Amino acid sequence: MVSESRSAPANRSVEVLAQRLRRRQVVGSRAAALETLLVLRQVIAKARFSNLEQLVAVIRDAGRRLVEAQPKEHSVGNTVRKILHHIREEFHAATRGTVAAKPVSFSISKFVLQGQPRKQAVVPKAESKGTLRENDPDDPDSFARGLKPVLMEAIQDVLDELETVYDNISKNAKDHIHSDEIILTLGMSKTVEQFLKSAAHSHNYSVIVAETAPSYDGRVMANSLSEAGISTFLVPDSSIFALMSRVNKVILGAHVILANGGMFAISGSLMVATAAKAHSTPVVVCAGQFKLTPLWNLYHEYGAHDFGNPSDVLGFENGDLFDKVDVVNPYYDYVQPELVVAYITNDGDHPPSSIYRLLKETYDDEDNEL
Amino acid sequence: MAASSGKEKLMEEEEVLQAVILADSFNKRFRPLTTRKPRCLLPICNAPLLDWTFESLALAGVQEVFVVCRSHAELVKDAIKDSKWSKPGSGMKIVPIMTAKETFSPGDAMRDVYTRGLVTSDFVLVMGDLVSNIRIDDVVRAHKERRRTNKDAIMTMVVKPSGGMHRTRTVGESAVFVLDPETSECLHYEHVQGHPRAKGINIPREIFAAHPEIDIRNDLLDCSIDVCSVEVPSLFQDNFDYLDLRRDFVHGILTSDILMKNIYCYIAEDGYAARVQDTRSYESVSKDILSRWTFPLVPDDNPPGGHIYELTRGNRYIAKDNTVVLARTSIVGRNTLIGSHTTIGEGASVVASVVGQHCRIGAGATVRNSYLFEGAVVGAGCTVDRSILGAGAHVKDGSRVPRGCLIGEGVVLGPDAMLQPFERLSARRSVEEVAAAAEDDDSDIEEVESSQDPIEKNGLGKDTNAVVWPRGRPVDEEEDEEGPENFQNQRFMRLGDTLSDIDDGDASSSSDSDSDSSSETSDFDDHDSISGHSDLSLQLTDAGSVSGGLMADEEFRTEVTQSLERAFSEGHSVDNAAVELKTLRMASNVPLTRVKEAVVAAIVERIPLVDGDARVQRTAIGTMVSRWGGLIDRIGGVDPVETVTILQAHCASSTRMPLFGQILAALYQDDIVEEDDIRAWHALPNAQPEEGADALAENMRKCWMIGTHMIQQFDAQGSDTETESETETEAESEAEAQKRAQKPAATPAAAAVSTSAPATKAKAAPPSDSSSDESESEAEAPAVAKSVPKAVAAPSPDTSGESESESEAEGKPAAVSATPTMKPAPPPAAIAARTAASEESESESEAEGKPAVVPPTPTIKAPLPPAAIAELVPAAKAIPVAPVIPAPTVSASATTEEKSASAVPVAKAVPVSVIQTPASVAPTAKAAPAPAAAPVATVSGSTAYRTVPAAIDSSEEEGSSEEEESSRANTQDGESDDGMSDAISASDASSANPSTTASANASEDESDSS
Repeated sequence: MVSESRSAPANRSVEVLAQRLRRRQVVGSRAAALETLLVLRQVIAKARFSNLEQLVAVIRDAGRRLVEAQPKEHSVGNTVRKILHHIREEFHAATRGTVAAKPVSFSISKFVLQGQPRKQAVVPKAESKGTLRENDPDDPDSFARGLKPVLMEAIQDVLDELETVYDNISKNAKDHIHSDEIILTLGMSKTVEQFLKSAAHSHNYSVIVAETAPSYDGRVMANSLSEAGISTFLVPDSSIFALMSRVNKVILGAHVILANGGMFAISGSLMVATAAKAHSTPVVVCAGQFKLTPLWNLYHEYGAHDFGNPSDVLGFENGDLFDKVDVVNPYYDYVQPELVVAYITNDGDHPPSSIYRLLKETYDDEDNEL
Repeated sequence: MAASSGKEKLMEEEEVLQAVILADSFNKRFRPLTTRKPRCLLPICNAPLLDWTFESLALAGVQEVFVVCRSHAELVKDAIKDSKWSKPGSGMKIVPIMTAKETFSPGDAMRDVYTRGLVTSDFVLVMGDLVSNIRIDDVVRAHKERRRTNKDAIMTMVVKPSGGMHRTRTVGESAVFVLDPETSECLHYEHVQGHPRAKGINIPREIFAAHPEIDIRNDLLDCSIDVCSVEVPSLFQDNFDYLDLRRDFVHGILTSDILMKNIYCYIAEDGYAARVQDTRSYESVSKDILSRWTFPLVPDDNPPGGHIYELTRGNRYIAKDNTVVLARTSIVGRNTLIGSHTTIGEGASVVASVVGQHCRIGAGATVRNSYLFEGAVVGAGCTVDRSILGAGAHVKDGSRVPRGCLIGEGVVLGPDAMLQPFERLSARRSVEEVAAAAEDDDSDIEEVESSQDPIEKNGLGKDTNAVVWPRGRPVDEEEDEEGPENFQNQRFMRLGDTLSDIDDGDASSSSDSDSDSSSETSDFDDHDSISGHSDLSLQLTDAGSVSGGLMADEEFRTEVTQSLERAFSEGHSVDNAAVELKTLRMASNVPLTRVKEAVVAAIVERIPLVDGDARVQRTAIGTMVSRWGGLIDRIGGVDPVETVTILQAHCASSTRMPLFGQILAALYQDDIVEEDDIRAWHALPNAQPEEGADALAENMRKCWMIGTHMIQQFDAQGSDTETESETETEAESEAEAQKRAQKPAATPAAAAVSTSAPATKAKAAPPSDSSSDESESEAEAPAVAKSVPKAVAAPSPDTSGESESESEAEGKPAAVSATPTMKPAPPPAAIAARTAASEESESESEAEGKPAVVPPTPTIKAPLPPAAIAELVPAAKAIPVAPVIPAPTVSASATTEEKSASAVPVAKAVPVSVIQTPASVAPTAKAAPAPAAAPVATVSGSTAYRTVPAAIDSSEEEGSSEEEESSRANTQDGESDDGMSDAISASDASSANPSTTASANASEDESDSS
C-alpha cells in the first residue's frame, strides 16, 4: 500500500535528506525541521492516495526513515508529527465542513471535564461527508485532488510558524528582561540571541556569556551581542558559580524539551542550572515549539547526550595520550524540570509542569511512535 | 569511458566531483586474512573498509567513484553491487574498474586509469582502506582555487598533524614534509621508514634559496587523500617508473627540474583520516573509531555498515536489535563493540575488542584487544590477546592465542591449541579450491602449504585444519630490502609488536655486514637504528634538517658502485663509464660531490691489496690509477682539491688507508692532481682534523701527514732540481724506480730530513699556506701549530647536523665533543721530535732511523695541548732557514728506505712505514701497522665518513661557495707569488714542473739538472 503510492523523486529527496542528516550535514534543530518540512511537502505533493490512512502512512513512512537516519535530531520527528496533526485537523475541517474547530484554549477544569482534548476533535471522524470522499471507486484520485490544496495550506502554516519562530519567541522579551538586569547565558542559541537582542530595543541591561567549552560557542554569542550594542561580558565557564549571585536571570536555549518538562541543552547547561538553583536564580529557557518532543525518558539513554568527537577536548596531536585517556565529549546535558522555571515558546510561556499538555495539543498521540 | 553527451552537459552546469579509489593494497601485510578476500573488504568495526571509504567520499559530496580493483576483483564488484551505495538515492555513482592482474603498484593502477580515460576533471584519489571524516570538499575547493592562479599545482595532499608518537601514525612508513608555511606548498618529500632508518634527509639547496621560511615536519600523518588534477594520471603514464604514489610520484615530481609541477599540502586541523595500511594501523584505527575520533562515522551514529549500535558508558557499543546475548556474569569492558546475534558466555570477558556478528564467545573465555570477524567462535576458557580472528575462525576450548596472531578465514584451532605470538594461520584449502586457485597467482599459499612442517602443528590442537605461515625473516627475501616491505620494517607495522627487541635485531644485522667494507654506507643506518624507533621523530626533527646522507643517496651509491663494477670488469672506456655516471647523477639528482666520492671510493677499493711486496703494490696502484683515474675528472667539475679531500676521507675510513700516499702519488703522476692542488688540499682546514679526536680523525690526520711529507718532498725536490739531485737516487732506483723515484724518495726525504719541513714552514709559509688558508698566510712559524686546532671543523666525530654547523663557525673545542680520545695523537709530537732530532743530526743519515723509533718515548700518552706544540714549533723555527741540503736529503731517503725496510719487514715501501709509525707506535706499539689501523677505521669510520660530505655540503651552502673560496685562494696565491721570497723558488720551481708527467719528470729533472 505504502510502496505503491511512493513516487521515485519524492523518495529520492527523502533519501538525500536522510543521508544529510546521518552525516550531520544539516546543522541545527530549526534547519533540520525546515528541511524536513520541505521534503515532506514534496512527498505529499507527489503522493497518490485515496483515503486519509494512506496519506498518513506515506508521511509516516517518510518520516520514519528520516528519524531513523538521525534519531538524535528530534525536531525531524516533531515536524513529522506536527504535519500529521495538521493534516488530520485540516481533513476534519474539510470533511466536517461547518463544524468549527474546538476552541484552542484549555483550562484545567475543562481538561478534567472534557478528558483528553484531542480525542474530542477526532471522534466525529466516522461520518465523513462533504465534498471529500474517501476511497471513491470511480475516481481514486479525487480525494487527493480535493485534499491537497488544504494540505499544502497546512504545511504552509507550519512553515510560516517555523520561519517566524524567533520573532514570536522574542516578541515577549521585554516582559522577561528588565532594565539594569544582569542576564547569564550559555552557548550560541539563535533563539536566545534574538530574544536578547529584541529585549535590548526597550531595555538597557547586561549579559554575561560563558565561553561554553569545548565548543566555545559563547564567544560567537558574545560577539554578536556586543555588536548589537548590548553590554556583554565573556567569562570562562569556571566562574559561572561565582558570578551567579549577581545574576538576575539565566536564559538558556534548548535542544529538546521533553514531556516531563526537562530538557536537553548544550553541555554546561546543567552546571549553570544547578548553580542558579543554588542561588535561587530563575532559569528561563527559550525554545521554539518544534523542540517539544513527546518523550520523557530520554535521559535513560546514555547515548542521548550525543557524544561527539574527542578532538575538541584532546587535540589529535597529543597522540601519546590516546591509549591512556578516554575522552568523553557530550554535546548535551540533561536539565531536570526542577531546575527550569519557565519555557518561553512561540506558543506562549509555560512552566515545565505543563509541557505535557502542550504536547498533547501539538501532536496526536498515535504519532508518538512513528 | 566516453561520457554521454547528456552527462557532459550536466558537467558543464555543475562539475561532477569524481573520485578514484585504489581498492588494492599492493602488498601483503594482512596475509593470511587477505587470501580469500581483498583487504578493502575486511571489516573494521564490523563494516567493510570499502564502505568506510565510500562514506568518507560521500561526506565530501563526491558524485562519481571509480573503484580500481585488482585482487579478488569479482568480490569487490559484488560487494559494491550489494551495498547500499548502488541503491537509487545514494547520491554516488560507483563504477568498479577491473584492472589487469599485472597491475602491481599504485602507479600501474594510475596508468590504467589514464588509459581508460576515466577522469575528466579534478578528482579525489584515495586508497580503498581509508577511514576519514575530513571535509574533502574543502580540500577540493582549496585545490580548485589554487588551480585558477597556478596551473602547475597538480595535486593537494591531505595531511594531519598528529604529534610524534601517535598510535595511528605508522612508524614503519611515514614521511618528512618540507612545506612553505605560507602557501603550504610541499617543497620536498622524503619517505621515512622504520628500517632501514634514515638518519637525516637531504633538502635541495634551491629550496632554501627560494623560500625565506620553510617548515620541516615529521609529525604529519599522511591521510593519503589526494586531490589531483587531470594530468596526474598522464604523468604516471609518462613516467613509467613511478610505482608508489608517494615515494616515487610525489618525490619524483618535487625533485624533477623538468616537470616544474607543484604539489601542495592541505593541513587538516579538523577531522580525522587514516589508512588501514597494516595490522598495526588496523588496531589503532579501530580504537580511534571506538573512541569516536571519526565522529559522525561512529557505530552508534552513522556506521557505514548500516547496523545500529547502542552506546553505553565507557564507549561500549552493543548492537541495538536486541539479538546480542550477554550472559549475566560476562564482562564487557570499555571500548568494545559487539555485533548483532553474538553470544557471550558465562564468565567470559571481552575488553577493548571488536566482536563481529554471529560470534560466539564461550564461558570463561577472555578476549582482549582483539578483533573477531563475522562468525568467529572462541571456545570456553580460551584466551585471545591482541589478535585478529578471521571470519568463521573457530578457536576451540582451552586454546591460547597470544598477541599478534592473524588467524585466517575458517581456521579451526584446538582444542587446547597453544600458539606462538605473531603466528599466522590459514585454513588448508580443499582440493577444489586449490584447483580453482590454480590459475590465480597465489603462489604464496601453495608455497606455504607445501612447506608445512608436521612438527610445527603440534601446538595447534588435534582438530586443526590450519597451515602455519612462515615466521620471522623470509629466507629468500632479497627483492625489496630497501623498500618498506622488508621484514624489519614490517615489524613496525605488525599488530601487537612492541618492538622492544628490535635493537638487538638491528645490531646483529649491522654487525654481519660490517665485514664488507664496500658497503659501509649501509652500515651507517644500522648503527643509528640501534637506538630503537622511539627517537625516530626526534632524530628527524633536529638532525634531519639539512644535511647528512639519506636513502636516495645510498641507493645512488650502490648504483654507482654497481655500474663501476661493470665498467671495471667489462673494461669499458673511461668515456663510456663517465657518460653512464652522468646519467645516473641526473636520474638521482645528487650533487657532483657524491659521484666523485663514489668514483674515488670505487677506484680505491678496486686496488688489490698486496701484502709484503711494496713494489707490486705500487704497480697495482699505478695501473689502476692510470687506467681509471681519468674518470674522476671526466664525470664533470674538475676539482682536484676536492678529489684529494675525498680520497683522504675515503682512505681514512677504509682498510686501504695505508695506500693513501701511493694513490695520491699515482694521481699526481697521472696529472689528475697537481702539486698545487695537494698544497691547497693540505692547507684546507678540513684536511687536518684535530688531533686525537677519534680513530677516523686519526686516519685523516695520517693522510694529512702524508700530504705534509709529500709537500716537503716537493719542496725538497724543487731545491734538488735547482742544485742537482744526486745520482744516488738513480743508483738506488731499480727498474721500476722511475715511478716511485719521485714519490718514495720524496716522502722519506721529507720525513727524514724534516729540517726542510720547518724550514719551508717557517720561511716559505706564505706561499704554501696561503694557497687556500685565509688568514694564516702571514703567520710564519706557528703555521703548523695554528693549523692544528684550526682543522677541527671538518671531521668532527659527531652527527652530521652538528658538524655541519660547526664547520661554519670555526670554533675549535665544540666539535671534539663525542669520542673520547682513543689514542693520544702522536703526530705533532712526532713531527716535533723528529724536527728536534733532525736538528741535531742534520747531515748524518744514520739519524734517519730515529724518527720511527724515538717518538714513542716522550709525548705519546697525552694529546699535546696546543701550547706544547707551539713550544715545539719555535724549536723547529730555530732551524736554519733556507739551507736545504740536497745531497743528504736524497741519500738519506735511500738509506732510510733500507733501514726501515730492515726494521719493519712488512713495509718494504717506505712511505707506508713512515705513515704507520705514529699509528702503530701510539697505543702499544706492537700491533702490525695494517691491522692496527683497520678496525679503527671501520668502527668510527661510519660516523665520520658521513660527516665529511656533510661538511663539504654545508660549506657549499654557506653562501660563499667553493668557487668563491678557491678564487680567493687563487688571488691570494697570486699575491703571495708576487711577494715570493727566494727560499720559495725551490718549491715553486718544482710546482712549475708538473707539465710533464711525473714519472718521466723525475728522471728528466735529474738529467736536466745534471
